Amino acid sequence: MPRATPAPLQLLFPPISLPLKYKPQPISHLTFVRSSIPCPPAVYRNSSTDYPHITTPLPPPSSIYIHLPFCRRRCHYCDFPIIALGSSSSHYDDDPRINTYIRLLLREIRATKPYSSLQLPIKTIFFGGGTPSLVPPRLIASVLDTIRTKFGEVAADVEVSMEMDPGTFDAGRLEEMVGVVGVTRISLGVQAFQDELLRECGRAHGRREVDEAIELVNSSHGLRSWSLDLISSLPRQTEEMWEESLRLAVSAGPQHVSVYDLQVEEGTKFALLYTPGEFPLPAEAQSANFYVMASETLKLAGYEHYEISSYCKPGHECMHNITYWQNEPFYGFGLGSASYINGVRFSRPRRLKQYEEFVKDLEAGNMSAKSNASIVEDKEMAMDVVMLSLRTAKGLDLKSFQRSFGESVVLSLCRAWRPHVESGHVVALDEERKAISIGKFDLELNGDCQLGRRVAFLRLSDPEGFLMSNELIAVAFGVLSP
Amino acid sequence: MRALYRSSRFVTSTLRPLLYESYRFGTLLPLIGGECSFCSHSREKSREGALDLSQYPPERIRNFSIIAHVDHGKSTLADRLLELTGTIKKGHGQPQYLDKLQVERERGITVKAQTATMFFRHKFQQHEATEKENAPNFLLNLIDTPGHVDFSYEVSRSLAACQGVLLVVDAAQGVQAQTVANFYLAFESNLAIIPVINKIDQPTADPDRVKAQLKSLFDLDPNHALLTSAKTGQGLEHVLPSVIDRIPAPPGKCDSPLRMLLLDSYYDEYKGVICHVAVVDGALCKGDKIASSATGHVYEVSDIGIMHPELTPTGVLLTGQVGYIVSGMRSTAEARVGDTLHQAKSTVLPLPGFKPAKHMVFSGLYPADGSDFDALNHAIERLICNDASVSVTKETSTALGMGFRCGFLGLLHMDVFHQRLEQEYGAKVLSTIPTVPYIFEYSDGSKVKVQNPAALASNPGKSVTACWEPSVIATIILPCEYVGPVITLCSERRGDQLEYSFIESQRVLMKYQLPLREIVVDFYNELKSITSGYASFDYEDAEYQKSDLVKLDILLNGQAVDAMATIVHNLKAQRVGRELVDKLKKFIDRQMFEISIQAAIGSRIIARETISAMRKNVLSKCYGGDVTRKRKLLEKQKEGKKRMKRVGSVDIPQEAFHELLKVSKE
Repeated sequence: MPRATPAPLQLLFPPISLPLKYKPQPISHLTFVRSSIPCPPAVYRNSSTDYPHITTPLPPPSSIYIHLPFCRRRCHYCDFPIIALGSSSSHYDDDPRINTYIRLLLREIRATKPYSSLQLPIKTIFFGGGTPSLVPPRLIASVLDTIRTKFGEVAADVEVSMEMDPGTFDAGRLEEMVGVVGVTRISLGVQAFQDELLRECGRAHGRREVDEAIELVNSSHGLRSWSLDLISSLPRQTEEMWEESLRLAVSAGPQHVSVYDLQVEEGTKFALLYTPGEFPLPAEAQSANFYVMASETLKLAGYEHYEISSYCKPGHECMHNITYWQNEPFYGFGLGSASYINGVRFSRPRRLKQYEEFVKDLEAGNMSAKSNASIVEDKEMAMDVVMLSLRTAKGLDLKSFQRSFGESVVLSLCRAWRPHVESGHVVALDEERKAISIGKFDLELNGDCQLGRRVAFLRLSDPEGFLMSNELIAVAFGVLSP
Repeated sequence: MRALYRSSRFVTSTLRPLLYESYRFGTLLPLIGGECSFCSHSREKSREGALDLSQYPPERIRNFSIIAHVDHGKSTLADRLLELTGTIKKGHGQPQYLDKLQVERERGITVKAQTATMFFRHKFQQHEATEKENAPNFLLNLIDTPGHVDFSYEVSRSLAACQGVLLVVDAAQGVQAQTVANFYLAFESNLAIIPVINKIDQPTADPDRVKAQLKSLFDLDPNHALLTSAKTGQGLEHVLPSVIDRIPAPPGKCDSPLRMLLLDSYYDEYKGVICHVAVVDGALCKGDKIASSATGHVYEVSDIGIMHPELTPTGVLLTGQVGYIVSGMRSTAEARVGDTLHQAKSTVLPLPGFKPAKHMVFSGLYPADGSDFDALNHAIERLICNDASVSVTKETSTALGMGFRCGFLGLLHMDVFHQRLEQEYGAKVLSTIPTVPYIFEYSDGSKVKVQNPAALASNPGKSVTACWEPSVIATIILPCEYVGPVITLCSERRGDQLEYSFIESQRVLMKYQLPLREIVVDFYNELKSITSGYASFDYEDAEYQKSDLVKLDILLNGQAVDAMATIVHNLKAQRVGRELVDKLKKFIDRQMFEISIQAAIGSRIIARETISAMRKNVLSKCYGGDVTRKRKLLEKQKEGKKRMKRVGSVDIPQEAFHELLKVSKE
């Protein structure tokens, strides 16, 4: 559910040199200059090899997102592109809809031109949905086979993540996914430990299935790590319930916990029924409190809060998601998935019929006309970098940002955030990741000495800064795109 | 040439056109010369064939205005008269023909005086034998004027070019406050007044009652009142004959040097500055060099004509006539309304001007919605070309940046100015709380006139020994059953009753002296609402009154917001402070930190509210790789911030400023 939707790849897009120019600009006229002019979409279908003027192609993607849209039913908060199979049947392995979709997906992967001959081994693969665990293991295996055929042997330590829902697998199926197919990481969609809340959300499972699933996952061998996913601020969720969910989550012993704050999305059942901040949804203060509770409880239990909604035991970060947060390229396959290749972001159609058309066009080699690909402009790139890196505990690396976008931008950013550094929502860190006091921050801001001598990173504080991330990022956007 | 014209005046009318031609050719040929110009001239001549102004010596000219309370049918009557004389075609053109501005049509009001020249055949009563065709032709200038009290400045300007008025009164509503005000304007200008009781087709019409009011209030002879319905056309045939019979011809001297009153000016994209003028003495023709008595500048008249009903070139304007000239003035600032224009070569005694516009209400105008100062500057510059009654000076606010302090004739005028800026010039405007000009006197004897409360020091370091505020004399006419609440309203607004009289058994006329500040915002609406719309209201300005005034500051997180400062009466400060603070609390969104809102007099806090800090604004849901969507969501949030005005660290939405305007009942 709230999980990765889309990502990725596309070979339709040949390498364009992306690197940004570092050209200090007067603050009043922030502009971004790119070293080479982005190619218009029309050239994308050209083969990737003939760009003599391009000297430094971006590294090829080494991450792949695969969208498997099938669910038993649609949850009340969900606005992802999914296909509800219906809850009547408990056995979907021979469902022709799944078979047909996988065939289409494989066609898309095959029709995709490799990014370049320099393809590096794939390091992460993420099966998101939907409920990927509804897809029979042999079909998952066929997807991985096709990926290997297309992109070569995957890295030895490849992370293969799969979202799985309680009640959709038994020991045998799990064993097949892990031992035979090669899944190394599971993201278990628990969401809540209370039957009344699960019902309220329209989930297709109850507490009993949750407990069973946790036991199954814990007794499985061969998994490198697993994540337990929770949602906070559900309708009628009380502080006691949330405390219980956090406690049970910790005692389930996952290496990773994702905590999503409920977003009431347009067009969902929740949007029809509820208004954020109003009963039965928790008030804003309560909802913020839930976030703080999660942060405190999980940190106390030894989890690092490494991203706004992600916690993990040391060394168990979701490498696939880190690709996103570092603004690195990735392939994307399947209904509604997004890819980011060579500076071009592209989202596939969210409806099956249009997706099928898209695959046909891809096979026929006439993509350019319909593609809604967009080259990420330098300005947008800077915004993406800020927006994504601020989600993480690492924060924004000022040195690298300055190299890409110029010193004046960094300076303006620091000025705009100064009040928030003072209020403690933004933390300035030095090279050793030690916090810098506001006094020293001011010295650097006002002094003649080069910025970045002391301040190496800016991150949002946990939990207050993370809770205000939208506000703070919007302030940064005001600087990057006045 | 003038000599020729002078002699021609005494020749019989049938000969005049011929002489006129020779006069014109004689004048113009040496000036323009060349074949080409000659051609263009002859084309002009043929167009002007029907408009030989020399046929109309002063005794064949009548200049009149229509004055009325708002909604008594003034603009409809004007439409009918224009149709009746064939100036506009019946059923063609829009209703309210002379109300050309979008704002006038939308609101059904007249803001800007407009002139139209009409021609009408009429036989004097004494020459009953004359055949209709032989009846002499008259030239009539109708000057439509605004009805609202804010625009009495426009009315008095128009009246300066008239010798008489049609005083229009609704047959059902009877005399209203603006009828009284307009009557006195006309009466004091010694104009002939023709009462017209209009809308007699209404079922509730009671012309006899209205006649009685006219008699008792204005001592107008009931037998002289015309009964009309501009809607059905009833009685309209008597209007223009009465104008001719009862309004005197313009008194100017044809054989004196030119003296011409500048009535109004506006800016036209193509022609430049167009001046409306009334020729008092002498004559003027195209190509003449004229000078301004006020500035001494000399201009050459490049186009001249009458409004019939649009710009219609005639090549000449003669004594008593009203029309327009185009003279190469670069901006309307050069065209000083009320100025006397004369032939450059002669010197004349300037005509008495009329009283200049008096600015009653001041407000700061600032660019809104992230638009820039230059755009607003440009829009204001262009609009004041067509509305010379606004005063404009630049000012700077720490909260709002660069902007303008504008003086208006009244609140409606301010509103109309805003609307025109937005509609006609595409400007986006944020305005500050309107204020009136106060005078403060300090212990060291210095006096300060304050048009912007922010400019008044909150802690001046010397004591204020006295303050004065402008006052008005308000006339309120209302049915007697509403007297109680209206008296309460007026005393709440610090008014002193000056007069209380019955104008008939059930209707009362009251006069109050009120501080201008008290009627600037909301008084009229309040009055209408407590009298179910039956009260009418008008005011004229009166002298400054001593008052106990204080400056009320609004502080956000301890920092005063200059654009929100107001000056209020000491006794009302508490209440206004509370209201402003409450209003702001409602309209300022929660931010990342707590915000304190305070109202203060000097260092004394009189009201306080707190907006708690926002607790959460996070997109925790993972959109996977769909970064574009996430970015767009946050960009939207950024755009929202752009529309805010920032004071210190607090973002204030523009709506908050708009809402403060409505806090009124200080």
